[in-house]
Amino acid sequence: MLLQAENLSVTAMLGGRPMPVLRDLSFSLAAGKVLGLVGESGAGKSMIGRAIAQDLPMGFRVAGGNLRYRGTELVGVAAQLRLRMLGRDIAFIPQEPMAALNPVLTVWQQMDEHLRRLGERNATLRRKRACDLLEQMGLAEPDSVLARYAHQLSGGMCQRVLIAMAFAGEPRLVIADEPTTALDVTVQARIIGLIGELQARSGTGVLFITHDLRLAAQICDDIMVLYAGRPAEIGEARRLFRAPSHPYTASLHLAAPGMTGPRQALLALPHQMPGLQQIATLPGCRFALRCPVALPECSGREPPPPDRIQTASCWYPERATLIDTGAAIPVPTAADDAAEILRTIGLRKVFRQPGRLFGRGHETVAVAGADIVIRTGEFVGLVGESGSGKSTVARLVAGLEQAESGRILLQGQSDVPRSERRSLVQMVFQDPQSALNPRHQVADIITQAMLVGRPAPRQARMSRALELLRQVGLPPDVAGRTPQQLSGGQRQRVNIARALCIVPKLLVADEIVSGLDVSVQAQLLDLLLELRERLGFAMLFISHDLAVVRYLCARVMVMHRGVIVEEGVTRDMFEAPKHDYTRLLLQSVPEAEVQPSE
Amino acid sequence: MNFRWLRSGRVVCGAALVLVVALSAMLAPLLAPHDPGEQDLLSILLPPAWMANGDPSFPLGTDSLGRCVLSRLLFGARTALAVAFLSALGAGVLGTILAHAAGYVGGCTDWLIGRAVDIWMSFPPVVLALILMVGLGTGTDKVILAIILVDWTRFCRVLRSEVMTVSRRDYVSAARLIGYSHWQTVTREVLPATLPLIITLVSLEMGIAVVVEAILSFVGLGVGANQPAWGQMIADARQNVASSPSGLLLPMLAIFLCVAGFNLLGDGLRRTLDVRQTAIRGA
Amino acid sequence: MTRMIAGLLVRRALVAVPLLVLVSFLLFAALRLLPIDAAAMSLPPTATLAEVAAKRHDMGLDRPVIVQYGIWIDGVMHGRFGQSIALRRDAGTLLAGGLPTTIELAVCAMLVASTLGLGGGLLLFAARGTWAEAAGDLVATLLMSVPDFMWALLLLLVFGVLMPVLPFIGRLDPGLTRPSITGFLLIDALTTGNSAVLFSALRHMALPAVALGMAFAPPLARVLRSSLLDVYHDDYIRQARLRGIGETRILLCHALKNAIIPTLTLMGVQFGFLFGGTLLVEVIYGYPGVGNLMVDAVRNADLPVIQAVGVSYCVVVIAISMITDAAHQLIDPRQHAR
Repeated sequence: MLLQAENLSVTAMLGGRPMPVLRDLSFSLAAGKVLGLVGESGAGKSMIGRAIAQDLPMGFRVAGGNLRYRGTELVGVAAQLRLRMLGRDIAFIPQEPMAALNPVLTVWQQMDEHLRRLGERNATLRRKRACDLLEQMGLAEPDSVLARYAHQLSGGMCQRVLIAMAFAGEPRLVIADEPTTALDVTVQARIIGLIGELQARSGTGVLFITHDLRLAAQICDDIMVLYAGRPAEIGEARRLFRAPSHPYTASLHLAAPGMTGPRQALLALPHQMPGLQQIATLPGCRFALRCPVALPECSGREPPPPDRIQTASCWYPERATLIDTGAAIPVPTAADDAAEILRTIGLRKVFRQPGRLFGRGHETVAVAGADIVIRTGEFVGLVGESGSGKSTVARLVAGLEQAESGRILLQGQSDVPRSERRSLVQMVFQDPQSALNPRHQVADIITQAMLVGRPAPRQARMSRALELLRQVGLPPDVAGRTPQQLSGGQRQRVNIARALCIVPKLLVADEIVSGLDVSVQAQLLDLLLELRERLGFAMLFISHDLAVVRYLCARVMVMHRGVIVEEGVTRDMFEAPKHDYTRLLLQSVPEAEVQPSE
Repeated sequence: MNFRWLRSGRVVCGAALVLVVALSAMLAPLLAPHDPGEQDLLSILLPPAWMANGDPSFPLGTDSLGRCVLSRLLFGARTALAVAFLSALGAGVLGTILAHAAGYVGGCTDWLIGRAVDIWMSFPPVVLALILMVGLGTGTDKVILAIILVDWTRFCRVLRSEVMTVSRRDYVSAARLIGYSHWQTVTREVLPATLPLIITLVSLEMGIAVVVEAILSFVGLGVGANQPAWGQMIADARQNVASSPSGLLLPMLAIFLCVAGFNLLGDGLRRTLDVRQTAIRGA
Repeated sequence: MTRMIAGLLVRRALVAVPLLVLVSFLLFAALRLLPIDAAAMSLPPTATLAEVAAKRHDMGLDRPVIVQYGIWIDGVMHGRFGQSIALRRDAGTLLAGGLPTTIELAVCAMLVASTLGLGGGLLLFAARGTWAEAAGDLVATLLMSVPDFMWALLLLLVFGVLMPVLPFIGRLDPGLTRPSITGFLLIDALTTGNSAVLFSALRHMALPAVALGMAFAPPLARVLRSSLLDVYHDDYIRQARLRGIGETRILLCHALKNAIIPTLTLMGVQFGFLFGGTLLVEVIYGYPGVGNLMVDAVRNADLPVIQAVGVSYCVVVIAISMITDAAHQLIDPRQHAR
């Protein structure tokens, strides 16, 4: 057995006491197979890779069980042996490719160092091997790539370099920790394909860590689903995807919007995964609080970890098939007689980088003539990859940037003064970290709008704050907290609440659900739909995730390199795309060959 | 504001040192055994009282004109602290205003202020202060003015990058979208974020001001001959360093304790007030 | 590569020249606008108002500032920096005598500061996580509270007076003749093979250079340490470790090159302050550089000398910032490779 874990547990010191991060972890990976580790953030999956490398952060340690690589115990392995194994027998593919390369060394310098370590003494042979490897990875001009620095390469190219280095030593085991999360969806498809190819060709065992169940089902032979630091289900990939035995796996599956089949309601589990403190103290099954089909007994005793016979860590695994998502809230479309909220004509934005004293400046056309129409109450999606210009469009529409040329008409008028604009258009930002001032309390943040002009009295603001919190589904005690004390999903709700304070007619949402767990994402998507039913605003929804757009938006526009290449009704466009780029995007979305049940 | 900064050893020690110096300065008329300007030409260059030829009525000895060292140290503390607080605050206010103008507004304003800072910083600060004192003349207020005019650039340069980072954050854009005026945005959103850095810089600047004042007094272009100043004491004592080393060491010790207090305080504040400090790097 | 360096320096120099002109003009104007009557100061106190007025006209002080500046620039082009009021010699000659001395001192002091500072920073970093780190950090903070002139006085007291091991006045033992070719004593002594002069010069330079070095080493140590700490959090360090690269190699080949970038910036700024620090150190040690010259000129309100020495300080600071900038561009590929 290539890699085998038995009852592995990892703890972290928190406030002087050891808290369990991983418990009862048992799995086995045979040579030449791909094992997927699927879990949302906080499930502990990143710790597994670090435990294998014996590179656990400060305060973390392996508290029990064992982890064996080809029979050798990895926990507490001698430093010499460990250094010999790393990079040679066991290789790693990182999550953020551009950050994983040293910014002040060229690609060649880093590959050369690695190849020298692998044993090649001759410099010319090393150079040749480096070029060969890069060509195998699909990089056309290896000499040019070798001479460059990380910041001169795209994310996809950096990842290919890192994969080349990982496979250079002909490793037996490769650990890929979210290798495509930071990449565009078209690039993701190609990188996944590359990893699969290399794995098949060299018979390497791969441990594939990801949060995306669909992606794992595409590439892995077996999948283990993690929840709150403990395995929830383990089994053959296709079977697990088609007929999950654990309610959590089923929920994961049903929480992610799909690209094919009828539009279904999303399963939005309440709350979020328990944190370290809660994991230690909750009785019984850790999923019971959120489980849609939990029975009272589930909170009594914790079910045993999964094994080959009982593949789900659940008292009543057959209940997983009972999960029902209910009826889907209809996609927000505009009424036939709805007025136009937004119309842009030939919107154009150019970014200029000032040149050095005698050098030329750099000019990038971010948006090259965008024509957008949004009517009252409709949700319109804008999809594209990084660099497509979609964020710039968002900022132009919101009024944060000035366009070079083109017009923006709000309710038929151009040049709307700032004081009126604010009640027409508001923006919800992507990164809740930087979107909420960490020094203010939530109540103050969401009622900021009431401080403009004649500031409203405190009493009025507090009651409006509580009302807004209720609308976005947050408990009233959140009002007195600061953003640091909230989870990612809660912060995003606060973000939305702030934008809705003066009830704008158009919301611009820039990637507001990316980076969130799929269950939290589902909560927010349904929240947006509910709010729209109640308040009737329109939305320009920017995203790179086509499935989310399919669920949320009536119409969609596809943007590529500053140009809107196609637009239309979502259903029609996704079923029969006209433009090549749209087709490429649609093909790149990971979709298991087997259709999900129901 | 939560009070975790009180738990920092550095803050406590630094504040304690500053407090000791401040109390000595404030209570100088009560604590000093003699008038600091009173000369006793019969008892010049006496060592501290615990040494061989010491005189108990001059606890720390006398200088070359028979003036009591302890009294001069205590009254010198007044000079030092007055200059420190006022010039640090002045430089802080001026530097903060210009840094926020440059960082928040950007464009031409930023360019102009940046060039002004470049020009100012082409001079080593000590040299510039000296040159200014040539024109301004001696006196405490002139020293304060000179330090403000020289050191605002220190604030401006460091703060500007912090202001720019904060201004790029989404919550500042959000505030503008909500309808805040520029003034509201800067005071409500930007300033609370830059305030920790400002406080740290002011504390460090106080230490720098004490040193500059000492240098100017040492050279003879400081607060004037009739006001006791530590730098002046050093300059005097230097002439007789062989016969009375204590006369040199004691004012140096005073300066060291005072500056160390401000440095520890500033350093401790930097570590506790804002963990994600990008601007200052140990300097 | 050399072409790139040359290009960088030329570009920076072209930016620096207008800056220098502007700075020298501002200094000139500021000095002329100050309430000092240079004419009156150069005449005995018994001079009549008419004589003072005549002297003013003679010195050209009644013409507009721009014109005076133009005359000065013209003089500078021809090597004349204006007549020192107190010393009755051209300020330029005085400058030529003192500037190489100060530059030599500053460079040696910077070497001391860099060695101590960077070495100390590496040690502090190597000791991370242990009690030695906290102790070292505290010591560095306390050391930073001793200003440069106090270091000078302390060292003078300890090593010059109490334990007379090193000389503390002047630049050479009296009785030794200076070889003067470049004006840089160490270089002259080395090239002429005059070991007595070399040895004496080094002994005399020891205390002032070390004093300045001690004053400017702690900030460098702290910046290097904090930069290394930051760099070690970056992903590429972890990835290198996962490829099996040893810790020493990671520190020297991967981390240091990144951490040196912010340190270099600080070194450039610190050199400017250090150069200003030579002023007092020279006064304290009687070192015949421009510092002494400046202090005397300031005391006597000797405008031409103040102007000349002031501008030379600026030239050095601007030159240093040019060099630091160029070094930055070379080391950080994010700057020069797009």
